[in-house]
Amino acid sequence: MTALLDITDLKVTFNTRYGQVTALDGVSLHVNAGETLGVVGESGCGKSITALATMGLIPMPPGRIAGGSIRLAGEELVGASPARMRAMRGADIAMIFQEPMTSLNPVFTVGDQIAEAIMLHQKVSADRAFKDAVALLDRVGIPSPADRARDYPHQLSGGMRQRVMIAMAVSCRPKVLIADEPTTALDVTVQAQIFDLLNEIQRDFGAAIVLITHDMGAISEMADRVAVMYAGRIIEEATADDVLDFPQHPYARGLIDCIPALGREEHALKEIPGVVPPLHLLGAGCAFAERCEHANDRCRQEKPLLVNHDHHPAACHAVEEGRI
Amino acid sequence: MNSSYILRRVGYGLVLMLGVVVLNFLLIRLAPGDPAMVIAGEMGGATEEMLESIREEYGLNKPLVVQLGIYVGNVLQGNLGESFFFNQPVASLIAQRIGPTILLVITAQILSILIGVFLGVIAARKPNGVMSGFVSVFATIGYAVPVFWTGIMLIILFASVFPIFPVEGMQSVRLRGADVFTKTLDIAHHLILPAFTLAIIYLAQYARLSRASMLEVLGSDYIRTARAKGAAEKTVLFKHALRNAALPILTVAGLQFGNLISGALLVETVFNWPGMGRLAFDSILRRDYPTIMGVLFFASAMVVVANILTDISYRWADPRLRGKS
Ligand SMILES: Nc1ncnc2c1ncn2[C@@H]1O[C@H](COP(=O)(O)OP(=O)(O)O)[C@@H](O)[C@H]1O
Ligand SMILES: [Mg+2]
Repeated sequence: MTALLDITDLKVTFNTRYGQVTALDGVSLHVNAGETLGVVGESGCGKSITALATMGLIPMPPGRIAGGSIRLAGEELVGASPARMRAMRGADIAMIFQEPMTSLNPVFTVGDQIAEAIMLHQKVSADRAFKDAVALLDRVGIPSPADRARDYPHQLSGGMRQRVMIAMAVSCRPKVLIADEPTTALDVTVQAQIFDLLNEIQRDFGAAIVLITHDMGAISEMADRVAVMYAGRIIEEATADDVLDFPQHPYARGLIDCIPALGREEHALKEIPGVVPPLHLLGAGCAFAERCEHANDRCRQEKPLLVNHDHHPAACHAVEEGRI
Repeated sequence: MNSSYILRRVGYGLVLMLGVVVLNFLLIRLAPGDPAMVIAGEMGGATEEMLESIREEYGLNKPLVVQLGIYVGNVLQGNLGESFFFNQPVASLIAQRIGPTILLVITAQILSILIGVFLGVIAARKPNGVMSGFVSVFATIGYAVPVFWTGIMLIILFASVFPIFPVEGMQSVRLRGADVFTKTLDIAHHLILPAFTLAIIYLAQYARLSRASMLEVLGSDYIRTARAKGAAEKTVLFKHALRNAALPILTVAGLQFGNLISGALLVETVFNWPGMGRLAFDSILRRDYPTIMGVLFFASAMVVVANILTDISYRWADPRLRGKS
């Protein structure tokens, strides 16, 4: 079976003042119909760039897709015409962003903004589209949807705005819904509600979801499979249970150690020492070597490949050599 | 939009106008020079008795405060006084000329905003492109060159090199008996050079401002959202981005209106446009105080009205301001 969304060896570069940097260095991912793929990693690992590349929304310049392939239901998106990409964006593949506070246009009502998304892809009257928008607002759990549809974004809370974004994203029943850290900017109680809503939406609309997050807790609740990203590469990939129970890569282990477990004291929370290196300082070796207690000379000189080990694929020399 | 806000705004405008009347009066009266001498000069001679009787007739011998009170009272009744020079009520002098001025100023305002914003939007699409460079250079030149120079250059160009636009006046004498349509076209034809001359400085400013404003807006998250919906690039630019980028442009347009009116004074003089600018120019040269004050009064009234309209349209354009006071 071919995957619904199939990204192979995707390479994205940016021209920066440090010269050309490689933000995505051979990313391969796939998502099957109806499935939820979790993509995890710290800030700056290339999660959003992967999502934006899939949407055809990488700012070019300074960005460039330097290689690889993105196939949606068999159709190649890399190099597709702008018109074809526009037709697919919002219709076949949709995206929810991290910042609900700023992701809606402040000068249009939320109902109009959803109706616009509908009218861009369906031949319906403005009236019909607005009625559909109200129904969608109802569907995503917004009370008095007919009134709220006439509200401007600033009149709604962050959680409500994210619901509006979700309503807009699913308005044309996309095959793939990318949610880029949809709850990072929200209160903890609201976060859980949004995740529940995404689960319901997936059940009702049958969309495959790519859930980008750095919240391993959300992964364990939502994801079927997980891809762990670090410095523009996928460094581990498996079913959610496998990654959570048997993380291989030291980075994945570190992320999982960061999950606040029930009954564990707050101050016992671990943190991976150091930060993601800036792209222009990436060397020839493993990008994680600087922060890794298992790193040796080989790690610092040679990039590990994502290959199968005991459990599942991970890109780590130490795992490959059985040192951990 | 609540009507109480509009009422409050209009009330505030009226108070402002009263202040303008008082200030106008004081500014003119405190300027050096004796109006009685000027009036006497027009009559061709000045004995001390004549001056005295002139002062008596025009109330110039009363204390300043009393004169002020009389003037404000008259203005409130719509009486702006009698021109020293034209021997006509100032109000009717202005009534004959305010139309052409409003026509010129509004046309210039619309021209400069439409063309300026369009250039700015185009430039913002490619911030390092040729168009962007052109807008920057053009904005600097437009800003630096005085309007009378632009006017004179255009006159030279169109009077001798390409005689396709009239360079003087507002109407052709030979069309006096023509129908309304022909006359309107004739006025529009005459309007092109003065309006463009007046528009050009502001046009350049709007281009630069809207380029900057668009660049900022185009980096917003909601623009990315619009693209993610599948909106076409021109919808993204002219609907999603411009509606937001227009807010600072609107503010500046309101503030610029006063400058536009004073610019109109020069342009009217250069192109012999029969508006208030010429009247102001003539009355300043002749120390025709009532007329100067009347012109200032109407110019201020136009600015106040423009500012009220700006405020109202700003609240219309930005829903975040609605319902707030
Ligand atoms: N417009 C850009 N120009 C240069 N570098 C960029 C640009 N956008 C993103 N990057 C770089 O790409 C890398 C990945 O960013 P991103 O995908 O946003 O990370 P995250 O995993 O936090 O979503 C970062 O190092 C970031 O600095
Ligand atoms: Mg991100």
